Amino acid sequence: MTDLLNIDNLHLEFDTYDGVVKVLAGVDLKMRRGDVLGLVGETGCGKSMTALSVPRLIPMPPGRITAGRVTFDGEDILSKTESEMEAFRARHLGMIFQDPVTNLNPLFTIREQLVDAVLYQRAQGQKVPGRWRGFLPSVRQLRKEAQERAVELMRLTGIPDGEVRIFDYPHQFSGGMRQRVLIAMALAGDPDLLIADEPTTALDVTIQAQILRLIRSLVSQLGLTVLLITHNLGVVARSCERVAVMYAGRVIEESPVRELFKNPKHPYTRGLIAAVPQKDISRGGLEGIPGMIPNLIDPPAGCRFHPRCEYVMETCRGAVPPAVPVGEGHTASCFLYPEDV
Amino acid sequence: MSLLLEVNNLQKYFPVRGGLFNRRLSDFRAVDDVSFALQEGKTLGLVGESGSGKTTIGKCILRLLEPTAGQILYDGADITHIKARDLRRLRSEIQMIYQAPAASLNGRMTVGQIIGEPLWIHESLKGDAARSRVLELMHVVGLKEEHYYRYPHEFSGGQQQRIGIARALAVQPRLIVLDEPTSALDVSVQAQILNLLQDLQDQFDLTYLFISHDLGVVRYMCDEVALLYLGKIVEVAQTEVIFEAPKHPYTQALISAIPEPDPDMQREEIILHGELSSAESPLTRRGGFRGGGCPFAPRCHAEKLATCETLPPTLIEIEQLHQVACHLHPALAPAENP
Repeated sequence: MTDLLNIDNLHLEFDTYDGVVKVLAGVDLKMRRGDVLGLVGETGCGKSMTALSVPRLIPMPPGRITAGRVTFDGEDILSKTESEMEAFRARHLGMIFQDPVTNLNPLFTIREQLVDAVLYQRAQGQKVPGRWRGFLPSVRQLRKEAQERAVELMRLTGIPDGEVRIFDYPHQFSGGMRQRVLIAMALAGDPDLLIADEPTTALDVTIQAQILRLIRSLVSQLGLTVLLITHNLGVVARSCERVAVMYAGRVIEESPVRELFKNPKHPYTRGLIAAVPQKDISRGGLEGIPGMIPNLIDPPAGCRFHPRCEYVMETCRGAVPPAVPVGEGHTASCFLYPEDV
Repeated sequence: MSLLLEVNNLQKYFPVRGGLFNRRLSDFRAVDDVSFALQEGKTLGLVGESGSGKTTIGKCILRLLEPTAGQILYDGADITHIKARDLRRLRSEIQMIYQAPAASLNGRMTVGQIIGEPLWIHESLKGDAARSRVLELMHVVGLKEEHYYRYPHEFSGGQQQRIGIARALAVQPRLIVLDEPTSALDVSVQAQILNLLQDLQDQFDLTYLFISHDLGVVRYMCDEVALLYLGKIVEVAQTEVIFEAPKHPYTQALISAIPEPDPDMQREEIILHGELSSAESPLTRRGGFRGGGCPFAPRCHAEKLATCETLPPTLIEIEQLHQVACHLHPALAPAENP
């Protein structure tokens, strides 16, 4: 089976007053249809930027892609024109973001926002018929059908009484319910790929558990492919099949979920897992990773993790470690693992 | 071991105003009849979801908010209504560390000024004497000497939190209220700060009131845990007991919802329906519980008794140091057999 999404050696820079920030430095990521991939990393490691490069939502300028390719189902995304992009997003992508409050317009009811999403996606990126044209019989029929679809989407995402709640405004919904509305919106066009950028970070744990269960059930019901971005390793362990760990603009380890937690290879991944307060850690037993994430205006040469790494060797300072297979479907970018094993 | 802090039947109601002449329509019961005690040198965790009243309790203890009713005893003395003059002395004993390190530091002051300010206020220290104390504090929390003249925005989140910790330590407090001290930080930095807090506790004999929504962090930091739901304590126990044998259905659900970074972990997942502060009805719901049943009843996954809807459960000690407020617990069954 061919890859659904293939990000190949992506380099992204941002111009700022302080200098050029090298946000992504050679990101490689592959996803197959039906994959649920977790993209993990700390603040500023480039996980959101990697995800946003797929729908090409990175503001350019100041952003600039200096090298690399992004292909989706064999199509080259980076060479598309803006209007092709609009149709592409409508047909293939759905996105949900961290903050369910700011992503809904408080001035419109859920009905208007959901129906718009459905119509837009039906029209595959073309402009939605204007408000006044809603009096034309054909368009009215279209809107009616779209509303039926919207209610169906609400049922699918677990919002009770969709027929009634659809007339409510966003402030009448709680945080968890708003996130469900956004998921419904993302599903409006039967997307091939759902990109979820920290979908549960703003929610309480019990609500987080509800939303993660919803995403999992959507995966099994609709055969969705999901790219789940999070900083929470626990969320990944609960909901993903594969994990890619990012550090300072690179994917440093990729593996099936169980393998990653049982047998982490990269020193950063090990540090990250050891830093989570877990069940059997007694007082004083928690290990942090010394130091801080590097400044990406002037990133460390070679492996970007080397200033914080306890196994640092001479080669680490000079050369970028390539991704090396270290197990079944498991790769790590670290010189600790020789290439010819 | 002595009790350092005792909170008895604390209540904090916020008036809900509206209508004609901005009348007081009802009360928002942020904290409703909460009692707990904290031993010197120990850490008590206050855990709950957003809107459960945990921060309000912390602020009432520092008297940043005036409690509506109840009593707060610090070191045996009632501090619920002490005067402003005594309050200043009290505040050198009790300090607070806040959630958002950037927002809790004055952006126009240097690190030296920020950490030195409490020394000037409480001990009238300034000049070289203050400077040497500040440098000592900076060393204790892991900041470098060259940071003295820098401004907060030049630091990362973890470093900013270290500044906040140094400021709290400046007046040599005995009790520190930590309000979600690491929830704005990345895990690797969170681990550093948690370890720092533990080291400081050992070094200076500090007592912590640790407010958090992250049960993993609480399990690591606290000796005892109190769980809050809609302004009421639903369960208090030693940390191991809470995590190994939780009795209240809410505690059980919350613990099952911790995302553990262990894909092999087998456990029953309890998914609660509904939300704590559903936007449509937090006020009506709270008002509606006046004399009503258990506040958790609408979301409870356990098999309910008739009393759950009608009688509010009281917090009762079921074993030593383990209190639960739930009708389902056998020890609390007198309602069936009055």
